[in-house]
Amino acid sequence: MRNAIRLVIGLSVLLTAGALAQVFTWPAKWTTAKPGEAKPGGTLVDYTISDFRTMNPFITAEADSIPDRMTMNDSGLVIRDPTTGEWIPYMATSWEVSEDQTEITFKIRKGMKWSDGKPITADDWIMTYRIHMDPDVGSNSRDSFFIGDKPVTVEKIDDYTIKFVYPKPDAEAFAIASFSPWPAHVFGPVYEEKGAEGIKAMWGLNEDPKNIVTWGPFVVESYRPGERVIFKKNPYFGEWNQDEAGNPLPYLDRYQVNIYKDINAALAAFLTGEVDIFGPSTVEHIAQIKKAVKEGKLDATLKVNASPVASSQFVVFNWNKAKDPFKEKLFRSAKFRKAMSHLINRQAVVDVVYGGLGTPMYGSVYPVLTQWINKDAPKYPYDPEKAAQLLAELGFKKKDKEGYLVDAEGRRLEFNLSTNAGNNQREQIAKLFVDEAKKVGVKINFRPIDFNTLVGQLLAKGPDRPFDAIIIGLTGGGLDWPFGSNVVPCKGNLHLWNRSGTCLDPRETLMEALYYKGRTTLDFKERVQIGYKLQEVEGDLQPIVYIAGPNYHVAWNNKLAGFHPDEIISSIWGAYELPLLFQAK
Amino acid sequence: MSAYLVRRLIHLVPTFLGATFLAFFVLQIAPGDFLTQWALDPKIRPETIERMRHNFGLDRPLLLQYLIWLKNLLHGDLGVSFMYQRPVLEVVWPRIENSLILVGLSILFLYLIGIPIGIYQALRPYTLPDYVISFFAYFGLAIPNFFFMLILIFLFVKFKFAFGWTPFPIGGMTSQGFEQLAPWRQWVDILWHAILPAFVVVTADLSGLTRVMRAQVMEVLGQDYIRTARAKGLAERVVLYKHALRNAVIPILANIGGLLPGLIGGAGLVEVVANWPGITPLLLDALLQQDLYVNVGIIALSSLLLIVGNILGDLLLAVVDPRIRYG
Repeated sequence: MRNAIRLVIGLSVLLTAGALAQVFTWPAKWTTAKPGEAKPGGTLVDYTISDFRTMNPFITAEADSIPDRMTMNDSGLVIRDPTTGEWIPYMATSWEVSEDQTEITFKIRKGMKWSDGKPITADDWIMTYRIHMDPDVGSNSRDSFFIGDKPVTVEKIDDYTIKFVYPKPDAEAFAIASFSPWPAHVFGPVYEEKGAEGIKAMWGLNEDPKNIVTWGPFVVESYRPGERVIFKKNPYFGEWNQDEAGNPLPYLDRYQVNIYKDINAALAAFLTGEVDIFGPSTVEHIAQIKKAVKEGKLDATLKVNASPVASSQFVVFNWNKAKDPFKEKLFRSAKFRKAMSHLINRQAVVDVVYGGLGTPMYGSVYPVLTQWINKDAPKYPYDPEKAAQLLAELGFKKKDKEGYLVDAEGRRLEFNLSTNAGNNQREQIAKLFVDEAKKVGVKINFRPIDFNTLVGQLLAKGPDRPFDAIIIGLTGGGLDWPFGSNVVPCKGNLHLWNRSGTCLDPRETLMEALYYKGRTTLDFKERVQIGYKLQEVEGDLQPIVYIAGPNYHVAWNNKLAGFHPDEIISSIWGAYELPLLFQAK
Repeated sequence: MSAYLVRRLIHLVPTFLGATFLAFFVLQIAPGDFLTQWALDPKIRPETIERMRHNFGLDRPLLLQYLIWLKNLLHGDLGVSFMYQRPVLEVVWPRIENSLILVGLSILFLYLIGIPIGIYQALRPYTLPDYVISFFAYFGLAIPNFFFMLILIFLFVKFKFAFGWTPFPIGGMTSQGFEQLAPWRQWVDILWHAILPAFVVVTADLSGLTRVMRAQVMEVLGQDYIRTARAKGLAERVVLYKHALRNAVIPILANIGGLLPGLIGGAGLVEVVANWPGITPLLLDALLQQDLYVNVGIIALSSLLLIVGNILGDLLLAVVDPRIRYG
């Protein structure tokens, strides 16, 4: 009898173990490590430039945060395969898309546990969504749950099934569903009892790390203000994350992030081996690392020009100048803007401003998004003669005494240009532009101004806005549909050239229509074709004259291994998958 | 004396109000606010920014914002940091503690080095050692602290490359593995990290202190009572330390009150360069991000300490110098 009971217990243990077996296997092609090469143990030391502000995922607003570091940059039900860019199931095991493409039902992976050992279920996603959506909490993620003005809703079907309902079909449906869950058993009771204020008071920087719970590979172990945060391995992560050989992940025991206010301090720490990974951003950084490696002082791998970064620098001309019809007519002319594009020596910008480590740009799609770039879209590269010719067609044929172009009525071709003071790169770009323009007889008065004043001018609304031309940049822009939801549509608040609230040029109207068409097209290939068309119209309209962007570089200390193969090292995929890194020496 | 004290404390109120209102006003007339940084973020909708501006109270009239802040101050509440979403004191205090260590150590260095050097120079004025010391003291005054720190870091990195170790750590406040150390070892570790930046901070103040000390001792040594002391046959050591020095240090003692705001003001850009997590890096962040209440909070705390420090200095002066009476 006793034996029988033992047998039953034994069987049930086996069965439970069987239930745990919904494992996510990390593909070997995501790393350069040979199978079986990786050993457990060791520490990765990374750095960040500005101190962390909170451990609370619902109020974090920085680009680099503790919650993001714990959850592999806010990963969740689905992640992207860096080798293909496609969405693959991660904390989900599968999904179903409804026929009208407005509902996606995810099956949640079974056997996942929080770092405190409690099971991860649909309730966690529902609670996370509810808290993000509460306007009083002020979560930065709230806006990501809206398509236009309508919210996406999330429903629980059962403990391991969850349904996302979209107001209309959307190219970014998976991106919207990919957010990281947070433990309902930790946040839920506080939220029910004290509401938004209760949530906001949780998980500050002085929170006892014992109370921090995550699903991710590492959980906070200690934090010292302004110095470092140390994460330790979450033992439950390895139960459902394994390599192809079946070893639990992550390999590393600890993950440390040092805080350096000054980039030179971070570089010094990398050169002396205190920090394992460094993101060089200037030629000077690269030269110092190369020198240290060459002289045998540092055993490191350096990848220069791995890819362009996902950001852009551009000139925008103001179409809303009711009080100055001469300039308004000029800035609204595509011919004028094409002439300006011909006056921008992008190669010189790359050479002078980025020390040769940059990429010229001709359109709104970042060069790193190679799948999306339409190589046949119209381009207006550096060519002062063509610029002069286009300006002559606009009536600027003669030059005045000072050598500047004037039209038939003697009005000089002159405008003001500004950018945010203190941004050396943009100031250099502006000076190159001013010099080239002067050569063909265009007078540009360049004056950098304070960033907040600049933003105020750019975002001013109505028929008369207080600037002529501004050099600025934007970041962001997804892999699913790389056009900005508030940039392309004419009512968008980042429709920087025209903030009158209506489309003024038929090509603007066409771009807006193509934007919405692409956004609601779920078939990837079809969507890329719409994107191509959009880039053609954009090229012809030149609403914004794109200039160039810097490249992405990365260096790491060779005591660590398991980084991405060269093909997938980029500003989008980074240099590694955290769970796959291991200590080699 | 107590009437004087009460009068000084009453004066404190308008000074404090004036200083904080000016700070509040100047910080707010800068274009934009904390939320402007997100205005160009394609992922954030403009209505979200407006809602947050309302939640933060930044859409209210300036005077009203100030009065609300004052009212909360009476309850010991300095407001909430926009960046951290936490009470200002909670954000600022750990950083002030860190700065205290650095500034405290450098003040200790300053007096330990500065006073003996000043006396030494006063006893041998216009000689070669006097000139050499003055030269180095002025050199320390002339070179900006942050730059001096950068040069030291550069030299120590070179040293590390050459020998594989450094006598002092290159930046930071604690070593790797700090959390696992015993408490007394933790203190040793912090002091070991603080020595280099504290030394750099001292170099800037050393010339001032040694000059004052040198002039004071020289002046006192010329006084009649010193001649009297010597004339009655006292040993030179007794003349110097018992009679001269006590009188010479009076202005330096009176100055101690002035150090109080400096204690929480931090060591300036040295903290940034040496990666010392003091108040300066936080203040810089707060200024750049226009985190209003952190800025005003730090200004309020240091102006309060400045005023209290001045009163203390005056009182101290009366204690050490019987010639001074307040009525």
